Amino acid sequence: MTPSNRRAPWFFLSPYLLLTLIFFIYPFLNAIILAFHQTNGPKSRAFVGWRNFIFVLSDSDFHTAFWNTTIYALASICVQLPLSLGFAMLLNAKKDNLKGIFRLILFSPHLVGQVFVGIIFALLFMPRHGLFNRFLQGLIFWGLDQEWLSNPALVMPALIIVSMWMYVGFNMIYFLAALQNVDQELTEAAMIDGANAWHRFWTVTVPAIKPVAVFVVIMSTIGSYQLFEMPYSMLRGYGPKNAGLTIVGYLYRTAFETGDLGTGAAIGWVLALIIFTFSMAQMAIARGTEID
Amino acid sequence: MTNFPYGKAPFWILVLSLVTGVILLVVSGKSDNDSYDLVFVTFARSHLEGYQKATKEFEKEHGVRVHTQLVSGRAVKDRLQSALMTDAEVPDLVETLADSMGYFTQGPVEDIGFMDLTDLLKQEQVNGVTLYDRFVESRFSRLSRNGRIYALPHDVHPLMLCYRRDIVEDELGIDINQLETWDDFTRIGRQVTKDLDGDGNPDRFMIDLDKAGGDFIIPLLQQRDEGLFDVDGNLTIDTEGVIDTIVWYIRQCYGPNRIAFSAGWGQTLAKTISDGLVLFYYCPDWRSKQFEMDVPQLEGKLALMPLPAWKPGERRVSTWGGTGLAITKACKNKELAWAYAKKLYLKREDLGDRFMASYILPPVKDAWELPIFQTPIPLYSNQPIGQLYAALAPDIPPNYASPYYELARSKLSEAFLNAAQYYQEQGKTGLRDYTRTELKRVSAYVKKVMIHNVFYADAMQNTSGETSNRTMSK
Repeated sequence: MTPSNRRAPWFFLSPYLLLTLIFFIYPFLNAIILAFHQTNGPKSRAFVGWRNFIFVLSDSDFHTAFWNTTIYALASICVQLPLSLGFAMLLNAKKDNLKGIFRLILFSPHLVGQVFVGIIFALLFMPRHGLFNRFLQGLIFWGLDQEWLSNPALVMPALIIVSMWMYVGFNMIYFLAALQNVDQELTEAAMIDGANAWHRFWTVTVPAIKPVAVFVVIMSTIGSYQLFEMPYSMLRGYGPKNAGLTIVGYLYRTAFETGDLGTGAAIGWVLALIIFTFSMAQMAIARGTEID
Repeated sequence: MTNFPYGKAPFWILVLSLVTGVILLVVSGKSDNDSYDLVFVTFARSHLEGYQKATKEFEKEHGVRVHTQLVSGRAVKDRLQSALMTDAEVPDLVETLADSMGYFTQGPVEDIGFMDLTDLLKQEQVNGVTLYDRFVESRFSRLSRNGRIYALPHDVHPLMLCYRRDIVEDELGIDINQLETWDDFTRIGRQVTKDLDGDGNPDRFMIDLDKAGGDFIIPLLQQRDEGLFDVDGNLTIDTEGVIDTIVWYIRQCYGPNRIAFSAGWGQTLAKTISDGLVLFYYCPDWRSKQFEMDVPQLEGKLALMPLPAWKPGERRVSTWGGTGLAITKACKNKELAWAYAKKLYLKREDLGDRFMASYILPPVKDAWELPIFQTPIPLYSNQPIGQLYAALAPDIPPNYASPYYELARSKLSEAFLNAAQYYQEQGKTGLRDYTRTELKRVSAYVKKVMIHNVFYADAMQNTSGETSNRTMSK
């Protein structure tokens, strides 16, 4: 290979590398530096050492945001994903023309932006006139005057309901694709060996879809910890008693409402560390339960 | 070309990328704004539409071109913040919500991105009256820091109560002149809040109040000269007046004697009023136009009244919201920008026309003398609402800015909700002491966050001696 040939790949990669350098590496490094400073406009900057991190980790509002986000993430994994898998199995079992329509119906909420969903659900959850409250009242004779967005105890359930509406169909698509790739010969062999549906699910289906399931769990966790727009638009802020304050909301409030960019950067790093830790833990658990 | 590494395709990819790169560089290097003499950004479509006539006149008078841009409210704040932080291109003039001004005016004075308008306002005169004196003085409070003014007030936003006149006066026979104080109001409220059909759910409430506190408590605090911050930027959310207000508010929203319903916003609120579920609601001037659009079927059935006072003879108005017009320090032609600002905010005839388009009362006192402000409005039972708002406007309380305003508001709401929970579990015994403890707790938290910001703490210390020169006082 001539020297010019050796340089050619770098030459063609240079636009990507340049953009990565400007829009990822530089902000990445700057965010590390920023986390140890406090700023006021472009001219003023003061080094504060670990003070921003100490402040964040000892701040009661950060603890609130952490627990809110964790509860939301747990609900995403423990409620939303089993539902997604259930719908995927239902759609995978029946082979008829309506499958495509149901798939579209379940997936379509994901096509709507989070801010739009937040505003719409703020209306649906209104006491007395909200459609959701009227539906509950008609169905179980309860809920007409429930203040989902004003009562701190009901804010998180409301957020989880909205997120289920948005994401169950989206995650279902992943599971459906995985289920369609399950080796039918294995399933049939298990049936011949006398395995019932439950055994076939645990011994054939689950191991087959496990890589996709791990991927979906990790992506859901990351997505949950990045939650911001939907609660912020639905609650017009962070909700009563900060019941809708998420970690990214806490970051936004600190960095862009009170203007403390340094502490905002520190929150960003703490968030990155949390997501990294949970993702690694999930991958380790998944590896630990692998069947040879 | 054939000698180019990997052949023709990579060659043409390279050519394409180079060409598009050069085009992008050229296009991004030349800003749209370069061809204009002034760039003005606002967040409200109604404001922008109202300014079109004045802008055209201004362009003709000065032989210049003004670029007016509409940007959503949140984006105005966020983009301007980012631009000011990075020394990037900013508009020459910008209208921003008064809530944001504390953020833009924090830290060392030299870092404030807006022009100090104080001297211009106090030196320029029209018919022997300074521009400063033409405005409602209290409206500068949210737009100032240490007595220096960084934006012109766009509005007054007097807060009155709007009520279903047909139900309150005709059906229930209530004389609103009896509702002089909040005590009168709650007494009557307990009589009219009822379950009319016996299904266990009340079907008529006296007033719309947010059960989460939210934005609804602050106007009540201001009405009695309380607030989140004082003129020096000190946090004041744990005073006895705040405790009194919260205890009163809790008793209207919770428990068997409650008179309030959380009706929400926009069309949900309009539906609640239209159905007669709620009889009274907060009605700042900006809301009066919204209702005209949302519930035209209520024509002649609504009316406005001043807020009940906390004590007989005391203030019967408060304020809700606000906007300011700032000139950025980066503006290249500040004289031209100042002339444009005056054209938009001080030309009396235009202010009258804009009032009729929005029902937003301008803060320029001499404009209120125009006959247009006496126009009867059919929705409000032919009351001249401009005159009603204007009569109360000089008594509007000040409301001071802080970058920690949102945080303080949120923490006040948190203390309120904890106290409300206490009231529901324990009743009124000990409520006042519990509320005081909660307010002290959240106050300590907000102060901790404020002290954490070294620039804010320094600026507060450096300006502590300047208070004697400040023009605003409670």
